[in-house]
Amino acid sequence: MDLVQLQRQFVDYRTSLYHEGFLDEQFTQLQELQDENNPDFVVEVVSLFFEDSERLLNELARALEQQSIDYKRIDAHVHQLKGSSSSIGAQRVQKVCIAFRNYCEEQNVEGCLKCLQQVRHEYSLVKTKLESLFQLEQQILTAGGSIPM
Amino acid sequence: MHGNIWVVQNPQGSAQSMALVIRFQLRPSVSITINELGESSDQPCSNSLFKGLQVLLADDDDLNRAVTRKLLEKLGCSVSAVTSGFECLTSIGPASSPFQIVILELQMPELDGFEVAMRIRKFRSRNWPLIVAMTASADDDTWERCSQIGINGVIRKPVLLQGIAIELRKVLMQANKV
Repeated sequence: MDLVQLQRQFVDYRTSLYHEGFLDEQFTQLQELQDENNPDFVVEVVSLFFEDSERLLNELARALEQQSIDYKRIDAHVHQLKGSSSSIGAQRVQKVCIAFRNYCEEQNVEGCLKCLQQVRHEYSLVKTKLESLFQLEQQILTAGGSIPM
Repeated sequence: MHGNIWVVQNPQGSAQSMALVIRFQLRPSVSITINELGESSDQPCSNSLFKGLQVLLADDDDLNRAVTRKLLEKLGCSVSAVTSGFECLTSIGPASSPFQIVILELQMPELDGFEVAMRIRKFRSRNWPLIVAMTASADDDTWERCSQIGINGVIRKPVLLQGIAIELRKVLMQANKV
């Protein structure tokens, strides 16, 4: 595939991520913050998001396995996950977190378990998609091109 | 400055009281145009309000801290970042602080933003440094509580460039009026 095709594929793919609600304007802002002084800003921040999320998802699973469930603790974790997902623009993850917090407030264990499953699913989707996006970027850069804004 | 100064003398001829009147001209408000890309418009001084502004940023979340820092730097601020309420208080210190604005996440473990702000206001003056809170909460109660503690402004999370710029500008303008 030549450079122009690669760039077109990149733009189409990125646009689809917005259309399907995987990403929102916060992600656009991240890209705009990247410059020559911080050429890897987006990848760095997204990596932080992956690390944070994986840790939080594990904590959540553990917390929901307990005999006596600590809903405050669960809520604190979900609040964090909601915060970081919204900061990078992972909109679908953020939305599930909102529902998750409501179930926490109701102390509804089934609702929480359902949300955990959902948020895991959405997280893994957005992770895969972002990784694909970064891969496309790398291909463009390797081919000597620049990333279309 | 078109002012006036006079002295009221007592019967012995020495000064009993002095009065000084100075007339200041109101400066036109600084207008900052920020388009969707977050870059300033063709006014070269449009972001001069933020240029070199000494900011202390306190947020325990690594990701949010990295993003907010970058946003502030994009506006032209000079940013120092800390990860806890305690570190924040230490950085401000008892003596004169180099920071003009403290940007403070309200929900931090151990020592939250409310506590930090209360302590800053207790031991330092009412308006120095300026304090701007950051929070994901939308409610009026939060703003009410912030206002009572002496916090000068609130930024909603997730943070957008325009959101920070507008609130910081408002806070700086209000401080200049005092």
